[in-house]
Amino acid sequence: MADEAFLKLQDIAVEFGGFRAVNGLNLDVKRGELRCLIGPNGAGKTTALDVICGKVKPKAGRMVLKGRDITKLPDYKIARAGVGRKFQVPSFFRELTVRDNLEVAYCKRLGVFANIARFRRSAESDGLEKLAELVGLQDFLDHTAGYLSHGQTQALEIALLLAQDSDLILMDEPTAGMTTAETMHTAKILNALRGRHTLIVVEHDMAFVREISDVITVMHQGKVLAEGHATDIQSNQSVKDAYLGSGGISHA
Amino acid sequence: MNIDRNSLQRLAAYAIFCIAILSVPLFVSDAYLLNKFARYIIFGILSLALSLSWGYTGILNLGQAASFGLGSYCMAMALKLRTIPIQTGASGLPDFMVWNNVEKLPWFWEPFHSYTFAVFAGVAVPVALAYLIAWFVFRARVNGVYVAIITLAMLVVINLIIIDQQRFTGGFNGITDLTTLSVFGVDFDAYSPALYYLAAVTLTACLFLGLALMNSKTGLILQAIRDDETRVWYFGYDVAAYQTFIFCVSGGVAGFAGMLYTLVMEFASPTFLSVPISLSIVIWCAVGGRASLLGAALGAIVVTGVQGTLSETPAFLDTWSLIMGALFIIIVLFLPNGLVSLVDVFKGKRQSVATRLVKPVAESEAQRVAASQQNSVT
Repeated sequence: MADEAFLKLQDIAVEFGGFRAVNGLNLDVKRGELRCLIGPNGAGKTTALDVICGKVKPKAGRMVLKGRDITKLPDYKIARAGVGRKFQVPSFFRELTVRDNLEVAYCKRLGVFANIARFRRSAESDGLEKLAELVGLQDFLDHTAGYLSHGQTQALEIALLLAQDSDLILMDEPTAGMTTAETMHTAKILNALRGRHTLIVVEHDMAFVREISDVITVMHQGKVLAEGHATDIQSNQSVKDAYLGSGGISHA
Repeated sequence: MNIDRNSLQRLAAYAIFCIAILSVPLFVSDAYLLNKFARYIIFGILSLALSLSWGYTGILNLGQAASFGLGSYCMAMALKLRTIPIQTGASGLPDFMVWNNVEKLPWFWEPFHSYTFAVFAGVAVPVALAYLIAWFVFRARVNGVYVAIITLAMLVVINLIIIDQQRFTGGFNGITDLTTLSVFGVDFDAYSPALYYLAAVTLTACLFLGLALMNSKTGLILQAIRDDETRVWYFGYDVAAYQTFIFCVSGGVAGFAGMLYTLVMEFASPTFLSVPISLSIVIWCAVGGRASLLGAALGAIVVTGVQGTLSETPAFLDTWSLIMGALFIIIVLFLPNGLVSLVDVFKGKRQSVATRLVKPVAESEAQRVAASQQNSVT
């Protein structure tokens, strides 16, 4: 089990009106790993995440999570199988309080009628307060989420994913719009998550990537270009070429 | 603490409103007025039903009048069948069917000999229709303005069918000359306090049950769907199931309101499920506050009340619709969240909700940045 891939993508291809955004993508992620996905614009990183969470259906290829073929499952069933997704543009519930946002994300029971007799401030919400503390939102629990700053909404969405407690967490540029301090704090959170959760993170900020990554996968033109540790990747010639040569990825 | 006080205040507001509407017959003895007030309250129930789907879940249903009208027809059919021996002799057919040369009572009229069935059907038929539409629309993840267009089209189709099938539905005239509903020895005459109480108790029940629903986790998830449907799908919730549920609940409540409306008006007519009524419901909801059950109900009562008063005042006979239009514009411009947001304006004389919330956020943001800078220095 330990050696078997937790998530396996085989020859995944995605087409948007004739354009192959992802073209024969192969990806193996081990349980508990924190994988960073980098690459120049248009490399297909976000599309790869879209495929994994079911937002986009691949034209070809196969996707296996924990030994189960999830290629054909609709998005919400993939979520139930244990995949959580953070979007590039923070996505949360603007008119609800931070606490209620977390309450929605805490989704152990999913049915309409299972939830109808449950009233909001349940015993479980203690744990939700700890989550808010973890991402630095403990003072904002009763604030309407729509009034948070951009960096805080990023933190909120990370907290939502933690409340959802998925085995596999996909993050699309989690630090965009954050201050340096917030970015480093986020890196700390992600580092704490690895092991118990498996993470795939798309990022442009190389300082952040170096801070968190085990293995980096570089994508280019819808394919995996290189895979390895940060130092290997930075000295890899084809990666440098993909990023238009000059300074290599440290200036990306 | 704060939250508890807010929800207590809300409960108090609901309770005061319900006591107020329930005590109206103590002060009003004029049967004509009481009938008019009962009508306003039924519009309140109808508007509340829309706020469940529109204000709380973000589904703009422009076909709400279809549920209302179908409920109304179910009640009218049962009441019509009770008039048979008086109006048409022994042939056993309602008068309009005789005029249209119908020879046998259509099969779908038969069960309406029973009041129990009629009341059941008055809710079940709108729910079934809502379920059917929801199944097509929400499974396919249709949302936003497209839902509004589809429901509006559905309303027009049903309206046309009812007008077209004159032999079975009474066509343009609707179903008129009904008997008075009398159950458990109580006569629900259109001008009786009994009928007023029935409407007021129904509205009270809807308000509190609706409040309980929206405070449950299901209600929370519905509001989350309004704010960001995609996000809710990716938590693993079957959003379509939640949307279908509230769409059906809303349809059922509207159907029940329709039954009451037949009792108050003493007839059922295709105008009950017309586009103008459907659009009026949206206006009532918007004026009162669509994301508040009490607001939506109040909106309907205030708008129809003002409308009724203005249109019956000789001085405004020519201008009342202009005045109503101006009022709507003023409310939409200055109170985009409806009349209920007046509470926020008055409460605590605070400047605005926005400054109250943004200020502490900005302050502690600054503190946090300052703290982290200190950390990085040391």
